[in-house]
Amino acid sequence: MTPKLKQEHPETSKIIVVTSGKGGVGKTTSAAAISAGLAQRGHKTVVIDFDVGLRNLDMIMGCERRVVFDFINVIQGDARLKQALIKDKRLENLSILPTSQTRDKDALTKDGVEKVLNELREEFDYIICDSPAGIERGAQLAMHFADEAVVVTNPEVSSVRDSDRVLGLLNSRTARAERDGAEPVKAQVLLTRYDAQRIAKGEMMTVEDVLEILAVPLLGIVPESTAVLRASNEGIPVTMDEPSAASAAYMDAVGRLIGEQIEMRMDFDRRQGLFGRLFGRTA
Amino acid sequence: MNVPQDDTLKGRAEPRTEVRPIQIRGRFLTAVALKIEGGMPDETFYAALDDLLRQRPHFLIDAPLILDLELAEGLTDAADMKRLADTLKDRKFLAFGVQNANPEQLAAAAGAGLIAVPPGRDAPMRDERPERRRAAGRAVSAATPAATRLITTPVRSGQTVVADDGDLVVIGSVASGAELIARGNVHVYGALRGRAMAGAHGDQTARIFCQSLDAELLAVAGLYRTSENLEHEVRKRSVQVFLQDDRLCVETLG
Repeated sequence: MTPKLKQEHPETSKIIVVTSGKGGVGKTTSAAAISAGLAQRGHKTVVIDFDVGLRNLDMIMGCERRVVFDFINVIQGDARLKQALIKDKRLENLSILPTSQTRDKDALTKDGVEKVLNELREEFDYIICDSPAGIERGAQLAMHFADEAVVVTNPEVSSVRDSDRVLGLLNSRTARAERDGAEPVKAQVLLTRYDAQRIAKGEMMTVEDVLEILAVPLLGIVPESTAVLRASNEGIPVTMDEPSAASAAYMDAVGRLIGEQIEMRMDFDRRQGLFGRLFGRTA
Repeated sequence: MNVPQDDTLKGRAEPRTEVRPIQIRGRFLTAVALKIEGGMPDETFYAALDDLLRQRPHFLIDAPLILDLELAEGLTDAADMKRLADTLKDRKFLAFGVQNANPEQLAAAAGAGLIAVPPGRDAPMRDERPERRRAAGRAVSAATPAATRLITTPVRSGQTVVADDGDLVVIGSVASGAELIARGNVHVYGALRGRAMAGAHGDQTARIFCQSLDAELLAVAGLYRTSENLEHEVRKRSVQVFLQDDRLCVETLG
């Protein structure tokens, strides 16, 4: 038996971007679930909303009424970071940096973002950047300083193709890509809205097809679930809500994100033997 | 003196690719190479040219033109070259560059506002930005042997990979929406779901090889086929693509 070794805190903080290219695939839901999961595991975590002008993260996190100052105020020097950070009432390790609903993505500057991220690095173990959809300025700045990326993908062609495009940008347009000799951004795919029945009917792509096209490790498979919608509406991250297949899938993904070896849960898949193949790919 | 032969008139497609913050797509243009012999062309040259224009009044009008100086040792003066370009312009030939020029002629061409185009590449470029001229000049003087470009990561949607001097080898898959362009052959050891263009500078012997064909577009020396026109039998198969009798053939391997 091998002893389970667990590192108390990562040696340096990690910036993880949650991105996808396509909209509506579950980026914000995933960013909220993952950051809450990391905080539940004892890591000091902050989640930043990069979707300037279409602020949603605070609603999913259930703190929209507590927003006074935001990310843009901090970047422009109108408020201190401490004033804008909202501490989650349920998890003491979790903070939220909301964005502005009245401004647009032009209010983000590379220098400003870098300054805020560096300040956050001193306090937090994990900095989760919730990217806007698309590949324009907001999305590019959200991924620019990332150490790792979670590419949220639905098992359908347009989502997979957009994710592929985003993976290309992660390899070419990020600070790590521009710095000589730096490790590239470690990207993993999180398959959401997975519906085994629709896949069986051939209406959606199989996990294997998606992974074959994207050629990056699989972080997790989150089944399509009413629990996700309910949690969003109530302003509770899925991982903090009552147990469901989706919350279990997100917690597994969080475990893998911090380097644990967790077998891919496929209760919702009819085929046997897929475990081995998937595990081989992700290990 | 020599007026263009038919084969030199068949302009070759040249994709223009540079790395810039904005996305640049491969662009195909037709160019004409005009061979100059001896020194500054005389009246008989222009007479022959006018003859040709009478025979084919529309074929060459407004065509981007390259002066081939391989046999024009006498033409070394910038003023002469400028005068030649202007005279051609009066006949609606848009001379923009020179090829097969010696260093002296290159300097003269630069003085006349003509850019250097590497020999064998009939590269049409409509603008004459200085950095472009420098880049082309380097390519001429370096005369590097065919270099193979090796890519060991998957080529993602939206990416363009160019092998300007030789073959392009990709180990991994090429996503739909990605683009491969090579002067020579294109090899894909993986699934080809994007676009592949071999012989981008006109090499009709160039081929495309791939392990699993699902391409959006295949092209050799400018002749292309889209996925609509691919037979079902060759899909998802290992294939080679080549030109035969001006037709693009897709053949399974093994």
